[in-house]
Amino acid sequence: MEYFFQQLINGVTLGGIYALIALGYTMVYGIIQLINFAHGEFFAAGGYVGVIFMSYLAAQGAPIWLCLGGSLLLTMCYCAMLAMAVEKVAYKPLRNSSRLSVLLSALGMSIFLQNGLMLTQGVYDKAYPSELTSGGFEFGTVMLSYMQIFIFCITAFLLVALNTLVFKTRIGKAMRSTAQDKIMSALVGINSNRIISLTFAIGAGLAAAAGIMVGLYYGSVRYDMGFVPGIKAFAAAVLGGIGNITGAMIGGFIIGMVEIFAAGYISGEYKDVFAFIILIAVLYFRPTGIMGENIDDTRV
Amino acid sequence: MKRTVLLALLTAVILMIGSGIADAKTLKLGTMGPLTGPYAADGNDIKNGAQTAVDVILEQGGIPGFDDIELLPQDTACDPRQAVASANKLINEEANGVVGSYCSSATLPASEVLDEEDIIMITPASTNEQVTSRGLPYMFRMCGRDDDQGTIAIDFMQQMLDTKTIYIVDDKTAYSQGLADNVEKLAEKRGLKVLGHEHVNQGDKDFSAILTKVKSMNPDVYYMSMQNSATGALMLIQSKRMGIDADVVAQDAVYHPQLIEIAKDAAEGVYLTFGFIDDNAPAYKEFLNKYKPKYGDPGAYSGYAYDSAMSYLKAVKAAGTTDPVKVKAALMKLDYDGATKHIKFKPNGDSGSNYIIRKVQDGKFINYWNPATGKLY
Repeated sequence: MEYFFQQLINGVTLGGIYALIALGYTMVYGIIQLINFAHGEFFAAGGYVGVIFMSYLAAQGAPIWLCLGGSLLLTMCYCAMLAMAVEKVAYKPLRNSSRLSVLLSALGMSIFLQNGLMLTQGVYDKAYPSELTSGGFEFGTVMLSYMQIFIFCITAFLLVALNTLVFKTRIGKAMRSTAQDKIMSALVGINSNRIISLTFAIGAGLAAAAGIMVGLYYGSVRYDMGFVPGIKAFAAAVLGGIGNITGAMIGGFIIGMVEIFAAGYISGEYKDVFAFIILIAVLYFRPTGIMGENIDDTRV
Repeated sequence: MKRTVLLALLTAVILMIGSGIADAKTLKLGTMGPLTGPYAADGNDIKNGAQTAVDVILEQGGIPGFDDIELLPQDTACDPRQAVASANKLINEEANGVVGSYCSSATLPASEVLDEEDIIMITPASTNEQVTSRGLPYMFRMCGRDDDQGTIAIDFMQQMLDTKTIYIVDDKTAYSQGLADNVEKLAEKRGLKVLGHEHVNQGDKDFSAILTKVKSMNPDVYYMSMQNSATGALMLIQSKRMGIDADVVAQDAVYHPQLIEIAKDAAEGVYLTFGFIDDNAPAYKEFLNKYKPKYGDPGAYSGYAYDSAMSYLKAVKAAGTTDPVKVKAALMKLDYDGATKHIKFKPNGDSGSNYIIRKVQDGKFINYWNPATGKLY
């Protein structure tokens, strides 16, 4: 039983990270029907910018809460701006082109950003300051580290904050209406360009938060770390019903759990396969994903 | 008429330049290794090590008959297909000899291609037995072999750690899985209980599921066979956090300064099988003096790459030509103290294994156990 609980904790931690990244995919898709393949790179950039801020703050002798909170906030802002810039350069000029050209532009951006990270930061792993991440609680043989608690809390906070923003505020209303009908919303006075920019920024901010937490949790970051989690989070978004925020969260947790339990109970070698088998099975029986519906107003 | 004369003159000039170039001979030494991707650290070590050997030889006056020695570094990315492409590229660029590559899975196919063109290849880092057991005439190896490495790991576990049970994890590369399989077979033969043998995927970052399994099995020794030191570091951090108190035994691919840099405290007490290098040997000091100011602390295979390049260049110097048959004969005659070991090639191309157990202590790798004497250093 203890084994099960330990795996459950592992699964929730990993699932939370996937959920945060998946939100960016789903929001961008919801609003402009674009699968932003450069999204995984915002996650990687978040990990890198995070380690730079954090090492700097730690070197200044800042207390732990400031190191973590301050660098989290700064990194999210930085990646949000990066995403807005990317949107301006790579997607906005193609707003009225065919979907295929925007998709190719996204792929190109992904390669560009990844290589940019490699050239500026080097090919070696960058280590996070480890003194921040040690320690935890022990229940019998089950370990719950402070880092995992930190990830739970931040993930939960961000998910609630995003839900409130999208469903309770005027900006959220504008986002939802832009997603439903860009032209009609523009006619009633919503600046759709600004809303799209904002959506990119929020999605990238969440991915950056995931990147920094992955860096803290695993101890180091590398320039190509965005690719695999990006693909998994994309799968999570599809699983939840792409365009649906709640769906992306649930999908993220499912993919994380399946991966951990498959590795823990079946085989570590095939854990990725099981995650994707679930995805295919769900799509086969419910092509719109778990939470996806054909009614547009559930989209962002 | 005028034009014909001009054309003839031009042709003559071109021919003269052409023959001039042909006279100025450059020795071309290729290196192969992963310069990008997860194993880039080791690939760059190999390139830097070989470059250092070239620098040393040039400083000593070069090789008679050659104006210059040029290094042609190739990126294999540890991918068999890209390794074959790099080998072909080196053939096109008329490399005389090759130092490389890193991953056994890249060395094996690349060496077949190079062998067809009779190009000598010396690998500083590929430990899979098949590298030299295929009978390729121009394949040499500077590092040790996996079968020896596995034996010493098991010897150490039995004699020093009093191990009864072990748990093995590898990451499914030709090298890491080959070695892990060796260890598993040998452990069973020696009466150790193998509690499990798991595989992870290359590029994985989350090992919590596997490590939870290891913890629940509570083995005496956790044998970690990773192709990449950075991955090894991640695994150590996570296993420490998980509270696994088994002794960790790892191998030479995990051996790299970056292991300690990333894992920090989590790396303390890890045992690794790695070739014995005498830090006080004059040849090693000479190498270190050249290497360190330029590239920092040498990586796991910098020294072996240096010795590989050095052996090849010495052999060319002795033979006075790059003709592979003569260079091979000169290579087989070499018998000198290199930076990392005493260099004397066996008929199959191996230079012999000299694995010892190293341990991470106070943030440094130290020589820990000598299998030849069965004593601690």
